Amino acid sequence: MNANPILPDMATIIEVVDETPNIRTFRVRLNDESRMQGFSFMPGQVGQLSAFGFGEATFVINSSPTRMDYLQFSVMRVGEVTSRLHTLKEGDSLGVRAPLGNWFPVDEMRGKDITFVAGGIGMAPLRTLLVYLLDNRKDYGKITLLYGARSPRDMAYQEDVREWRERDDLDVVLTVDAPSEGWGESPQERVGLIPHVLTDINPSPENAVAVTCGPPIMIKFTLQALKKLGFADDQILTTLEKRMKCGVGLCGRCNIGTKYVCVDGPVFKYSELKDLPDEL
Amino acid sequence: MSTLEQLKEQIRKALPDLDVVIGWEQGYDAMHATPLFIREEADIDRLIWSPLCVHSLGTYLTGLTKSSKVQKVGLVVKGCDSRAIVQLTQERMIPRENVTLFGVGCSGCLSHARLEYKVEQGGHYVEDMHAITFNGDKVEVAVDGGVESFDFDTVCLEKCLTCRFPNAIATEHFAGEEVPVAPKREKAPSLEAFEKLPLDERFAFWQDQMRRCVRCYACRNTCPMCVCRDHCISTSRNPHWVSQEASTAENFMFQMIHTMHLAGRCIECGECQRACPVDLPIMLFRRTMVHAVKDTFNYVSGADPEATPPLLTFKAEEDNINERGW
Amino acid sequence: MEAKFISHDDTTGWLDALSEQHVVLAPMWDNTVVTFRPHVKGRTPVLDRMPVLPPKEGVFPQNEMLLKYKYDKDPENLDRTSVQVKETLPQDTAVVVGARPCGTRGMTVFDRVYNCEKIRDPYYVGRRENTLFVTVACTRIESTCFCHDVGSHPADAEASDVLLVPVAGGYVAEPVTERGNALLDSPFFAPAGERSAEAAEVKEKNRAKLPAAHDYTGCGEKLMDRFNDLAFWEEQSAKCISCGACTYLCPTCYCFNITDESVGLTGKRLRTWDNCMSFQFTLEGSGHNPRPTKAHRLRNRVNHKFAYYPDLHGGAIACCGCGRCIKSCPVSVDIRAIVRAAQTYTPKPAPEGGDER
Repeated sequence: MNANPILPDMATIIEVVDETPNIRTFRVRLNDESRMQGFSFMPGQVGQLSAFGFGEATFVINSSPTRMDYLQFSVMRVGEVTSRLHTLKEGDSLGVRAPLGNWFPVDEMRGKDITFVAGGIGMAPLRTLLVYLLDNRKDYGKITLLYGARSPRDMAYQEDVREWRERDDLDVVLTVDAPSEGWGESPQERVGLIPHVLTDINPSPENAVAVTCGPPIMIKFTLQALKKLGFADDQILTTLEKRMKCGVGLCGRCNIGTKYVCVDGPVFKYSELKDLPDEL
Repeated sequence: MSTLEQLKEQIRKALPDLDVVIGWEQGYDAMHATPLFIREEADIDRLIWSPLCVHSLGTYLTGLTKSSKVQKVGLVVKGCDSRAIVQLTQERMIPRENVTLFGVGCSGCLSHARLEYKVEQGGHYVEDMHAITFNGDKVEVAVDGGVESFDFDTVCLEKCLTCRFPNAIATEHFAGEEVPVAPKREKAPSLEAFEKLPLDERFAFWQDQMRRCVRCYACRNTCPMCVCRDHCISTSRNPHWVSQEASTAENFMFQMIHTMHLAGRCIECGECQRACPVDLPIMLFRRTMVHAVKDTFNYVSGADPEATPPLLTFKAEEDNINERGW
Repeated sequence: MEAKFISHDDTTGWLDALSEQHVVLAPMWDNTVVTFRPHVKGRTPVLDRMPVLPPKEGVFPQNEMLLKYKYDKDPENLDRTSVQVKETLPQDTAVVVGARPCGTRGMTVFDRVYNCEKIRDPYYVGRRENTLFVTVACTRIESTCFCHDVGSHPADAEASDVLLVPVAGGYVAEPVTERGNALLDSPFFAPAGERSAEAAEVKEKNRAKLPAAHDYTGCGEKLMDRFNDLAFWEEQSAKCISCGACTYLCPTCYCFNITDESVGLTGKRLRTWDNCMSFQFTLEGSGHNPRPTKAHRLRNRVNHKFAYYPDLHGGAIACCGCGRCIKSCPVSVDIRAIVRAAQTYTPKPAPEGGDER
């Protein structure tokens, strides 16, 4: 972060990847080489991307700190800023304010089995953690990824997913909402809602952590499924999204009671979330 | 039976069929009334009716009638307030059949700003005022060490001087006697003074005024005719017509948009100006627009439930618009 | 440091002199209301009343430019643009004259947030460190005043650099900080002498005008007890019209918006006062809104001041008791009454026979 926490670093897009019809991934490098070299962050931390003239929006840094060739952000086109970001091409400039917020407790998770449950764009914040764990593979137990999307074409990170499916130190299960042509030939490809498939996979809560992110309705039913499987509240991690402006705990819109999602989050244990006032 | 007693009785009878009736109660001090939401019979005791009851309660309607919890709403309305309901009904912005109006005749409402000015001229201050009595044409204010008496016309809201609709219209109930229609002035004195200014001075006047607008949108949110509510253009980024910068030009732009959106709709309740914490003379815009609509379409907003507002219809050749003549 | 005296007639000259070196914000008649305006030489400041707008403007202006940007088109390839960004930190030194003790003390609510271990906001800190407050002790206790309920009083000098106490013919100027003391090193001031005793009397007299203080101890917990009681908040917020008068006029409301405002290829990133009563404040891109109704939003405003903030900042209430939110509310919403309602809440008895069904 800059000495002025509200001033973005200038950065250049080195690659743009079309993930899905409305999700685009940007790989960027800070223009100031020494700041790029000195950049450090942890999985789960976020950044604010600036499209000057349009504003800023918050995205998780979904690359892993173990791979610092570039910082990667995935942008779903929903509003003014994201629509503008989608017009940017390789070589274009943008502003980056990062890293912001807290991160996944990777040390606390060491030695445990990890189950990832991701829905749609919710894969982005889990991607950074998954890559980090895979790059430190020996430190962690069994790793399972359950990733669901509306349809196969709504599934982001196709290239990663292909690679992950090949690995024998990672169990991958993909699911889509409705049957689709060419889908389901492999046992890794399922049809059905995420919570149902999760129940089916039946991960053990023994010495385990579940990490989930996705649309609110998916999170709600995933939490119920995890509870049924025996996961305790402090074994479940999630990462929240809120409307943010400043990203540094000042502007007053992302708070849930006394907690500011931008600085106290975005990563929360379910046990912490339950103690917060109900204002998600 | 006094107007207030009649009003209470009418509300008492109607309340079982209504989810809420909105009137006024005494506010945080002797000088202020505040809206009262009557849900139970016991709440009726708190109802008041006096020149302190300035608020146009129709502003709550568009919000309430969209809520699933509230279906049937009662509203106490003065003459000007009732015009808002007529206009909203014509625009089909409210389900009129679910609204029950309790009308009253009104002899004018207090302008706190004018009263405070008068009191200060007499060497007292706002904090010295302990009680207020309305006594026909006189207003008596108990101040430290005595009573100050003012002519009501000198401390009423400016709109009341020109009021042609003192009695609520098109209501289900009416409490008390009708008040005779007797406007004291043909035109609002502030507008008369403004219109004497040459054009360039008018612009300078507005630049001097608009500078202090803080864009709190109290004018918009008190306005019973501002029905866009949470989706106002002034806070929209797409389209991006108004900047968030509270500068003279941007403030002016917002106020102009507000005025334009009230063309043929403004019922001159004056709530915008009363609500303004920095006392912008917003009614100058409103009245100018009201006069323009009257001159162009011979139309008075919210005055006749059977009429069609001019901007909800069209004529191939408008009587007073010479479209080809320029 | 020694108390001094300045006559009414000399205040204008003093401000004229101060404005040679600093931006001087002082209460002025702005048509029919008194607001803080940059001092204009020769104009008499209005020091006998609380300005409508809060003194926070001096340190946290309604419009703060954060940076400027400029796009340049590549003449070889018109599709390509490059962008230059320039930080715009405030440089001015300022003196805010004529705030009441409540308004000045409101800055302490900002300080705990904008200049703390976790974060140092350079725009805020830059202005704060370069702004002095010359406060006027309050002599006019209105029905909306409750500074004493939130731990202050009409002559509180907290966060002030100089306290002016109205006495016959002028003001006794009591220096509070060294920098404030330096402001009094001016030919417009004479030693206060016996007038200091008069000033002490004035302070005492106005203190005594206030009724017994309301006790807000434990109000945060009581408010949180009601958090999920949406019916309570719907009742409290029923008359609220969701405008921003309360927040914009509040000396302690520090929430803001950040927007980019362009003209052609150039523009500025602005920080502007924002309003938590507005639907847009927390509206998310997806259309989801965690505070969808005015009940949710008023709950956040009241809780922020009387529950969340005190919880995070050692019990300090984020309200200075100036009463602007009550006085300027178009429908007279009274924040004191809302907190009291939570403090004294007792469940309504069940309607007769209602439980049997």
